[in-house]
Amino acid sequence: MTASICAASDTRKNAEHTVVVAITSHSVFESRDGDDVFGAGLAFPLLQALQRVNEQLLEGNPDESLLFDVVLVTTDRKQQQQRSLIMSSTTHHGLDVSRFCFSCEEDFVESLQTNAVDLFLSTDRKELLQASEQGVVSALLETHSASPPLEQLRILFCGDFLIQPDAGLKLAGAQSAKGFLSRLGEVRRRFSVQDSPLSITVLTSRGGRESCGSAICVLRSFGINADEAYCLAGAPRAPILNVLQPHFIFMSFDG
Amino acid sequence: MSELKVSESSTSAEEKDWLEAKAFFDNLKTNKPRPPKPRFAVTIAVSSRTLFNMVAERKIYEEVGVEDYVKFQIEHEDEPLKPGAAFPFVKALMTVNTRLRELYPDSEELFDIVLMTNNHAQVGVRLINSINHYDLTIERFCMTGGKSPIGYLKAYMTNLYLSKDSDKVTEAIEEGIAAATMFTPEKEVVLCDTQLRVAFDGDAVLFSDESEIIVKKHGLDSFFEHEKEFENKPLAQGPLKCFLEALGKLQRKFYAKNERLNCPIRTFLVTARSAASSGARVLKTLRSWGLEIDEALFLAGAPKGPLLEKIKPHIFFDDQMFHIEGAKELGTIAAHVPYGIGQKYNRGKLIEEPKKEE
Repeated sequence: MTASICAASDTRKNAEHTVVVAITSHSVFESRDGDDVFGAGLAFPLLQALQRVNEQLLEGNPDESLLFDVVLVTTDRKQQQQRSLIMSSTTHHGLDVSRFCFSCEEDFVESLQTNAVDLFLSTDRKELLQASEQGVVSALLETHSASPPLEQLRILFCGDFLIQPDAGLKLAGAQSAKGFLSRLGEVRRRFSVQDSPLSITVLTSRGGRESCGSAICVLRSFGINADEAYCLAGAPRAPILNVLQPHFIFMSFDG
Repeated sequence: MSELKVSESSTSAEEKDWLEAKAFFDNLKTNKPRPPKPRFAVTIAVSSRTLFNMVAERKIYEEVGVEDYVKFQIEHEDEPLKPGAAFPFVKALMTVNTRLRELYPDSEELFDIVLMTNNHAQVGVRLINSINHYDLTIERFCMTGGKSPIGYLKAYMTNLYLSKDSDKVTEAIEEGIAAATMFTPEKEVVLCDTQLRVAFDGDAVLFSDESEIIVKKHGLDSFFEHEKEFENKPLAQGPLKCFLEALGKLQRKFYAKNERLNCPIRTFLVTARSAASSGARVLKTLRSWGLEIDEALFLAGAPKGPLLEKIKPHIFFDDQMFHIEGAKELGTIAAHVPYGIGQKYNRGKLIEEPKKEE
C-alpha cells in the first residue's frame, strides 16, 4: 500500500506561518441515508469557529499569515474509499478546508507527520493516543452540542495533565509541538482581553488551588495566557463542562 | 426557592471525580484539610471584590480599561491584596469548619468556600497568591474571564453567593440561588473570632415580600390587621430561608455533641416588626418550617444600626437599602438582598422609573 494520497483544494494557505489543524472526517461529517452528500457532524461548530477566528485575523491584518489551516483526514479504509463524497460534501457545505489526507488505520499518523500537522483532532481516544505517542500534538473533540452553536472557539487544557512532570514531554515533545503552542498563544494575543473569537481555558479536577495556579504558569511558559481557569478539587466535572462547552480538550489519553 | 442540594443520587462520574481528588489530597505531605464533597457541603461562593479590597484596581478598570487593569494585576501579582468585606465572614466559616472537623472527622457536612469571579485567569494568579498569603481554605474557584458566573453557581451547587455586583446578585436570586450584594462598612469593628454570627432581616429576606406589599400599598394599620388575622398562616419562603436552614443543620451537629452553649454559629433576626402586633406570625412561621433562630429582635420601626453595632454580626442581610446604609454607618458588614417590592421604594417613597429613551 503506497503512502496515503493527499489532495489540495483551492483554498490552500501560505504554509510558513499557519497552524495546521487536522480533523478526522468521521467527526466532521455524518452519513445521511439517501443523501448524495454527508450531513453536518459533531465538528461542524468547531470548523465554523475556526473560520471565524481566521476572518477576524484577516480583518485586523489583510496580510495576516498566522491563520488556522484545516486539513480533513480519514483514519480508516471505509472513509478512505469515500474520498469523492468527502470532497464534494466539503464543497457543498462551503467549508474552508485546504487539504485532504485519505489515509487508513495503518498510515494516518505517518500522513499527519509528513503533512506537518500541528494539531490533530478526533473523537476517538485510541486514534489520539496513537498519534500523541508518535509525537503529534492531539486533542479530544468534545461532543457537547450547544444550541445555538457557540461562535467563540473554546479550547480547554486539562490542568492535572499539564502539571505532571512529563506533561511537557507528552504534550510538546517535539520542537514543532512547542512551536504550535507558542503560535496558539500568538493567535490569542492578536485579540484583546475581551470579545476575542477564541478563549483558552484551564481546568483542574483533582488538585486544589496550587495545582490550578501551577497549570496557569505552565501554560505561560509555553507562551499561552489562559483566559479562564476552573479549579474543581473533586467537584463533579460534568456540570461544569456543560457550561464551559469546550470545542476540544488537551489531556492525557492513556489510562 | 431552591432546595438545599440536587435531590437525585450522585452519578458514578461524580463519585469518580470525587475519589480522584480525595486520593490527591490524602497523598499531600501537608496537613491541608481536604475540600468537602459538594453534595453534602454548604457552598458559599464569594467574588474577588468581596473577598479582597480591590478598590484601587477597580478604578483602573473603570477609568482606563480592562487591558490596563489586567496588566496592573499581573505586574503586582506577588503583592497580596488587602482583606475585603467578606473576609471576616470567610474566616468565621473556617473557624466553624475546624470545630466541625474536631467533632466529626469523617463528615463532609462542612462549609465549602468557592471563589467565583469574572476575572481573567491571569489576574487569578494574584488572587491565588493572596489566598495563600492569608492561608484561607479556598480550594475551589471559577475565573470566568468575563462570562456570567450564573451557570457555574449552579454547577458548583452554591448555597449562597456574595458579590459587589448587584446585577449578578439579582440574576442569581432570579435563578433561585440565595445571594446578596456586599457593602464595606464605614468604620472598622472588631468581630468575634470564635463564633460565626449571622443576622437576617425578616420580610423579603427570610420570608417572602407578601406582607411588605401590604405595608407599601395599604399602610401600616392594614398591615397590623392582616398579620393578626393570618397569625397562624405561615409566610411564604424568602431568598435566604434555605441558607438559614443550612446553618441550622450545622448547628444541630453541635447540639448533638452537647455543645449548644459553646456553639460556634449564632443566628439573629433583626426585624422592623413589633413583638406585640406582628411578631407572632414570624415566630410561628419559623416554627412551622422546623427552623430555629437564636435571637429574635423586634424593633417596631426603630433604626437597626445601633442594635447591629451591639450584635456585631459577620454579615447582615436586608432587602432595603435604607437599613443597609444605617448598618454600614455604624460599622456593620451589610449585604443587600435585591428581592421583592422593597426594591421599588426608597425611604418609603415609590422610586420614579427613569424615562425611557426614544
